Amino acid sequence: MYGTNAIQLVKEIANGEKGQLTAFSSNLFKDVIAECSQHYEDLQKSLRKMQEAGIDFQTQNEDHYGFLIHHLSLLRNKRCLMTYMHSRAEMLRNLIWKVGYEIPEEIEEKLNHTEKEYFKKHSEALRSYMSRVELHLDMDMVPPKDPYIKVRVLDDMGEVQLPSFNTANFAQHSMHFLKRTDAEKYISLGKMEELTG
Amino acid sequence: MDSGLDSGLDSGSTEVYETDVELLKRAWRQEKAAPEILQFESALVRRIVEQIQLMEETVEEFTESGIDPLTVSLYQMDLDRTQFLLRSYYRIRLQKIEKYMFHIRDNAESRLSDKEKVFVERCCADLQTHLERSVLLQLPSTYQSVFRQSSEKETDMVPRPHLDTFVVCKTKYYLGHIQLEDNADGESDSSASQRPLDEPFEMEPNVLYFVRYKAVKKFVDEGKIDLY
Repeated sequence: MYGTNAIQLVKEIANGEKGQLTAFSSNLFKDVIAECSQHYEDLQKSLRKMQEAGIDFQTQNEDHYGFLIHHLSLLRNKRCLMTYMHSRAEMLRNLIWKVGYEIPEEIEEKLNHTEKEYFKKHSEALRSYMSRVELHLDMDMVPPKDPYIKVRVLDDMGEVQLPSFNTANFAQHSMHFLKRTDAEKYISLGKMEELTG
Repeated sequence: MDSGLDSGLDSGSTEVYETDVELLKRAWRQEKAAPEILQFESALVRRIVEQIQLMEETVEEFTESGIDPLTVSLYQMDLDRTQFLLRSYYRIRLQKIEKYMFHIRDNAESRLSDKEKVFVERCCADLQTHLERSVLLQLPSTYQSVFRQSSEKETDMVPRPHLDTFVVCKTKYYLGHIQLEDNADGESDSSASQRPLDEPFEMEPNVLYFVRYKAVKKFVDEGKIDLY
């Protein structure tokens, strides 16, 4: 039936966990694209048939409705394809805010070629914007309560130079009392956790 | 941070806010609550950036001259909070731009700062290339537009902000004759099923209301309504 493949793509987005990218369904995607070409061919056929018979296009015969069905199916397929790509692009953009400008390997595997390209380009656009406004917008994600926080190191990092010109020895499981701005980067990378209470 | 009273509010508001930081907080809150992007507060942001620099210098001086650490950390905290507000303000706007880039580029560009304009152009170009390469160029030629479903229709594939969402708001003025449902513009979601309220709606000062953004949009732009 027309359109069953396309709706699968949309369902993939709708049923997926929110914001979680799934592997790019290249086979399904290709099928839908092929379906579109088929629709277009059929649509042209109906059109030609009417022209050859010298029938005005407004005449509501079977070819007229055949044309409409293929046209509308094509539109629907296009909407589904675009929804799929557009939603994935949105997830990719949100990912940049969460993990930074490098795609983690396990996510990179799930992307198709142009998506990888897009991730890079959009990261670049964001970065260039931030350097123009001279602000790191990717830090300070939660409102600060205290300039200093207590953290525990989760990943052994050894001697580290902090932005506030101090060095610290971040051995695994060690606890530190750091400037929030210094610690934030490590927390977002999952190398430290904030100790509360 | 204390800078004198603000005179930069050009919206004809008679309200006097105490500091730029409070103004920024208000702008930030409005931006956070509004579904669409609002006018960029360029004068305010410029002042805030200057003040942040000043504060940073002060804190540095204090640290070097060995002033009581408690005092320094209080200044630092103030600074951190202001910086958070500024960053968050930029961030919310940026995320709105990312989400509705095509719509904003074509309909609301005047609300952006110059740098945001550059960003939105770039965003649109990148996304368009991406969508064209992955989908559109493989479709028949009359179906290749990013903005339209097929060649003949008007733009019907551009995501827009939902101006129909509800916002919590309050005003300092008495505002009468607010049309809650204007069915005149059919561009919003198909909310036709709703029963139109014929009676104009009035807002009393300092009372919280929960209304559709679209109905009070005009007053938000004029600065007469605060969103929460």
